[in-house]
Amino acid sequence: MSTTTGALKPREVPEIDARSRRLVTIWLATMLAAFVVMVILGITMRLNQGAAIKLMPNTFYALMTMHGLGMAGGLFTAGVVLIWYLTALRFQMNHTVMWVCYVLVLIGVVGVLAATLVGHFAAGWYALYPLPFVNAAWPSWTIGTTIVSLMILGVAWLVMQMDIMRVLAAGYGLKRMFGLEYYKGEPAEPLPPAVMITAVCATAGILGTVVGAATLIIYLFKWVTPATQFDPLLLKNTMFMFGHTIVNVAMYCGLGVMYQLMPAYTKRPWKVNRLLVISWNATLVFILFAYFHHLYMDFAQPKAIQILGQIASYGSALPATAVTIFGVGSQLYRSGIKWTLTPFAFMMSVVGWGIGGAAAVIDATIAVNRVFHNTLWVPAHFHTYFLVGFVLILFGFLHHHLNSRAERLAGTGFVTMLVGGYGFVLMFYLGGLSSVPRRYADYSAIPLPSVSQPGTHYALWGALFASLFLLGALVFFLSNGIGRRSPGEAAVAGAGARG
Amino acid sequence: MIQMAGYLTLAVALVILGVAAFVYARARQSVPNGNASVYRVRKYYAAALAVALLGALAWSLPHTPYGAYSSEEPAMRVEVIGRMWFWEFKPSDGSSADSLVIPLGKAVEFEVTAADVNHGFGIYDSEGHLVGQTQAMPGYTNRLRLKFDEPGHYSVLCMEYCGMVHHMMINGFTVR
Ligand code: HEM
Ligand SMILES: [Cu+2]
Repeated sequence: MSTTTGALKPREVPEIDARSRRLVTIWLATMLAAFVVMVILGITMRLNQGAAIKLMPNTFYALMTMHGLGMAGGLFTAGVVLIWYLTALRFQMNHTVMWVCYVLVLIGVVGVLAATLVGHFAAGWYALYPLPFVNAAWPSWTIGTTIVSLMILGVAWLVMQMDIMRVLAAGYGLKRMFGLEYYKGEPAEPLPPAVMITAVCATAGILGTVVGAATLIIYLFKWVTPATQFDPLLLKNTMFMFGHTIVNVAMYCGLGVMYQLMPAYTKRPWKVNRLLVISWNATLVFILFAYFHHLYMDFAQPKAIQILGQIASYGSALPATAVTIFGVGSQLYRSGIKWTLTPFAFMMSVVGWGIGGAAAVIDATIAVNRVFHNTLWVPAHFHTYFLVGFVLILFGFLHHHLNSRAERLAGTGFVTMLVGGYGFVLMFYLGGLSSVPRRYADYSAIPLPSVSQPGTHYALWGALFASLFLLGALVFFLSNGIGRRSPGEAAVAGAGARG
Repeated sequence: MIQMAGYLTLAVALVILGVAAFVYARARQSVPNGNASVYRVRKYYAAALAVALLGALAWSLPHTPYGAYSSEEPAMRVEVIGRMWFWEFKPSDGSSADSLVIPLGKAVEFEVTAADVNHGFGIYDSEGHLVGQTQAMPGYTNRLRLKFDEPGHYSVLCMEYCGMVHHMMINGFTVR
């Protein structure tokens, strides 16, 4: 195995140049603005489920579709921007590529917004075939617009990730960037963990996006030629391979940022070793096969595949926690850290990821999934690792990236977000424990008071907690505008953060 | 089962939060190589988790719904067709589908499919517990075998989003 570095040479000391920094800021500001809008849609849905307001069902489901697409798509985009940042710390990146993708993403987002909010397209974020096309309450243009908009987003994602892979491959070589050298022992030149994580994320992300693109082409064909029939089970598989993969990858991209930045705060190195390599490469495989757990209740799917799904889902728990959660623990424990928002946010994101992960592993048990599938337990677990997981990494990163120093205000906002966030997801869990089905515009038609009453009740509390979360997030954003470190101060505070 | 899952998740959440609080407090101390003990704990953790996961696999895999009561001849078969937006029942014995009656304590088979889009066939007992489900997918028949040990009215709700009236796609049957 060769240890030669490729055509590009990584910077000795990782550092973000001013142009790349601005580019990342603009991307994240855009994604976070979209995030706030999506949160408001979420609160609106919860209010409707709580019988505090009365939306037409098709309005509710259009909001739900927009919310799901906006959150999953928006946060995946943010994840890709984060691994771009990790790459830009080491290499001169091509900014034109990123700006073109930025425009593509905006076009895609406007398309989806128009289709859902104006046209009331409401097939749900993973739009199971053939729902978008049958007896639809939404006009035909909204179907085509959604498909094409998602394809445009997919192109942007592919281009960004391929560009990252291109640079990493040129800089480190294909084998090295996955850390494969470590199988043979400690290499002469150590590999930064963020590079390996970026390579793993981009690979999974590209595979997921390609499967998504293929699925969307079939959808487009169906839209143009309504008489054709495709197989719903096959398309359900490909749709989840796409959707499940990209939302997982988003989270892993966030972890990459944490591996990169945490050492700057703890002053302890975070190095690649063989265990880390094995774990992350195994995670790549597990991510790709775990999606089968979405199809447990499709009894037509071969039983061997279902069992594989459970094993892959369980398998992902071990490397993920033993390496990353313990990694964070050993970064922090007795490090003498001065707690500021960024490391605290990173630690809390891992907490949310762990809790959501545990809830996910439980639901990934076929025997349990029988009674949890498509109840509110499902949004409960994925909101846990997004809202009080990945989103917290984003906030911590933002605080770091903007050199914010309004620690007090940022902390106040952040703790408010935590209280609101955990309260909000708790209401989903309690709904799941009461067997409340997910994706119900309201619960009034359910003939079982022991389901509909708690369902309504928890929904209202969920809306209140989510509003608290939103309030905290706004305070947090405010804090970034109020106090910034001067470049000199930032250099001191962040020394090594670049490393 | 549902409650157990709830308590388990709660327990894990409390442990993780507790450990985080502990680490948060201890992180302020500065001890060179003070984290060596974390790696020691990790070994035990990894071993314990591996055992727990293997145990859970061994316990749970025999309880999949796929082959339930496969050695018994079902006392009744009911064809179930999900449509936008109602559930159609066709009992094999030709009895009335409007007031479907399922025999108590005997294996019955629901042969579930859909006429238009995906639906989810979810059965709730009269106390509101989800007792079983399977997807209703056009072009496929999912066979769900169950035994009902409690007499009474059972509700059928749709568990897969299927458009505007999804939340009102409700039917039911009686077990006696
Ligand atoms: C405070 C913030 C949030 C609120 C109030 C909120 C609210 C909601 C509600 C009420 C639903 C419908 C639940 C149901 O099935 O009955 C939902 C679904 C969903 N949410 Fe959120 N959410 C929030 C944050 C997030 C985040 C951070 C993500 C990131 C991925 C996310 C992604 C989704 C997705 C993918 C769905 C499923 C949509 C579908 O079923 O088509 N949400 N959310
Ligand atoms: Cu439905």
